[in-house]
Amino acid sequence: MSNGAAHADAIAPAVKTGELHAVWRRIFNGVVGLTILFVLWWLGGYALSANPTTASFADFGPIPTFHAIPELWEEGKIQSAISASGYRLGMGLLIAFMIGVPLGILMGRSKRFRELSNSPFQFLRMVSPLSWMPLAVLIFIAAWDQSIIFLIAIASVWPIAYATAAGLAKVDPAWFKVARNLGASRWHMLVTITIPAIAFDISTGTRLALGVAWVVIVPAELLGVTSGLGYLIKDARETLSYNELSAAVLIIGLIGWFLDSLVAMIIKRFNWHKGNEA
Amino acid sequence: MSGATQTMQANESNTSMMFKSTGRELVNFVAGLLILFVVWYLGIEWIASDPDKANFADFGPIPAFNAFPWLWEDGIIQDAVTASGYRLGLGLLIAIAIGVPIGIIMGTSKRFREYSNAPFQLMRMVSPMSWEPIAVLAFGLAGATVVFLVAIAAVWPIIFATAAGLAKVDPAWFKVARNLGASRWHMLTQIIIPAIAYDVLTGVRLALGVAWIVLVPAEFLGVSEGLGYAVQDAKESLSYDSLMAMILVIGTVGYLLDGLCVLALKRYSWHK
Repeated sequence: MSNGAAHADAIAPAVKTGELHAVWRRIFNGVVGLTILFVLWWLGGYALSANPTTASFADFGPIPTFHAIPELWEEGKIQSAISASGYRLGMGLLIAFMIGVPLGILMGRSKRFRELSNSPFQFLRMVSPLSWMPLAVLIFIAAWDQSIIFLIAIASVWPIAYATAAGLAKVDPAWFKVARNLGASRWHMLVTITIPAIAFDISTGTRLALGVAWVVIVPAELLGVTSGLGYLIKDARETLSYNELSAAVLIIGLIGWFLDSLVAMIIKRFNWHKGNEA
Repeated sequence: MSGATQTMQANESNTSMMFKSTGRELVNFVAGLLILFVVWYLGIEWIASDPDKANFADFGPIPAFNAFPWLWEDGIIQDAVTASGYRLGLGLLIAIAIGVPIGIIMGTSKRFREYSNAPFQLMRMVSPMSWEPIAVLAFGLAGATVVFLVAIAAVWPIIFATAAGLAKVDPAWFKVARNLGASRWHMLTQIIIPAIAYDVLTGVRLALGVAWIVLVPAEFLGVSEGLGYAVQDAKESLSYDSLMAMILVIGTVGYLLDGLCVLALKRYSWHK
């Protein structure tokens, strides 16, 4: 036993340096990649400023943009946009999650429900979410926050429901048999088999849902509201401050990237399938 | 002889089973949609029973279906579908023309894949509609802006799906091809493209989903035809029945397009 432990100790540092190496390599590649992007961006901005007819758009370049970010931060515009959009995104995803997971479990467990729900769900899924906007505004009587949360929820509920159902389809039926033989109640089967087994698929669905919600939130905030990331874009456009506009685009990309990586990390954590992660 | 009859019988029962399963699918399809319409009808009845919200009755399925004939006769549906269809098609075509080559480079060059990861992830997570003001400055308030927004939204799923498809290609195939004297062009047309067709199509299906989301808000502003404009127009003229009718059109067209992708996927599937 002590022998085995010593062996494991000997292996651990080698694995660790390997991992560390991979992390450094990824950071290095990321920095190089982003530097290339910024150089291309700078060249684009330079081309705009060099041409007299487009010189007024030179503010789109990276240097004016980087000047705009501290200004926007000091005015508190970035913070308030993030907190307003973050609240709407979080609430919308939470509602989508609370509706989508039970719906997915129902689809995965009941053949009749799966068969009957297929056509209406596919139809509703392919209704472009923003077309619900006029309806949402009327239902929530111009309560814009709720309308936007509704739009995010209706857009992101489908990936979560379908991923949950697909996850359940992969669960080995023998596990339920074993559990039943060992006297597990329905509740036990849910919390000790179903949920751990599908956590990976639900988190994959959440990543897709986040992607869709992120697409929906900006146009939803372009109309009506006076806060959030969409409004940050609209405000910059209306004041013709192009550097603030490109700063807003950059901030949206960075936050989206951060959120996406966060969910990707959660997916890795829940991954119990061997090797077949996409 | 008896073997032949057996196969024939097997064939017959196979076809009858196929009919049975398509029949069952059809029944489920119709029944599912009927349930949706009943829920819709009852929901609106329930809301409109509150006298304060009596005007919500127009949101029900019956007024929506009554709006169809005149929306069709006025040519509103046809114009919206053709205008949006053209923008969607062109946008997706541009996304494929740019996305597939980039995906192939990503899949074959490790260096490109490693360097492009960070900038592509950053750009992918820029919500497509944030490019709208920049697109308007570049292309004006016109259909070209919508096409650009569709393309920039749709290009990422296609790139990543193509690269993922290429990663699954067995390197031995390239070795065999090289040994048999295949040129780079031959390898592209004989191995890479057939092998990744399925994954590219998966990417196109995802891209269609995103493009479909972006198309409607992109048409809210600046253009005067298309599905997004029709929704906006119905809302502004307070004709809730035609609003719901347009939502039905959007859902139906989207469903058809997605179904088309699924059929194409089945056709190109060589994975077991």
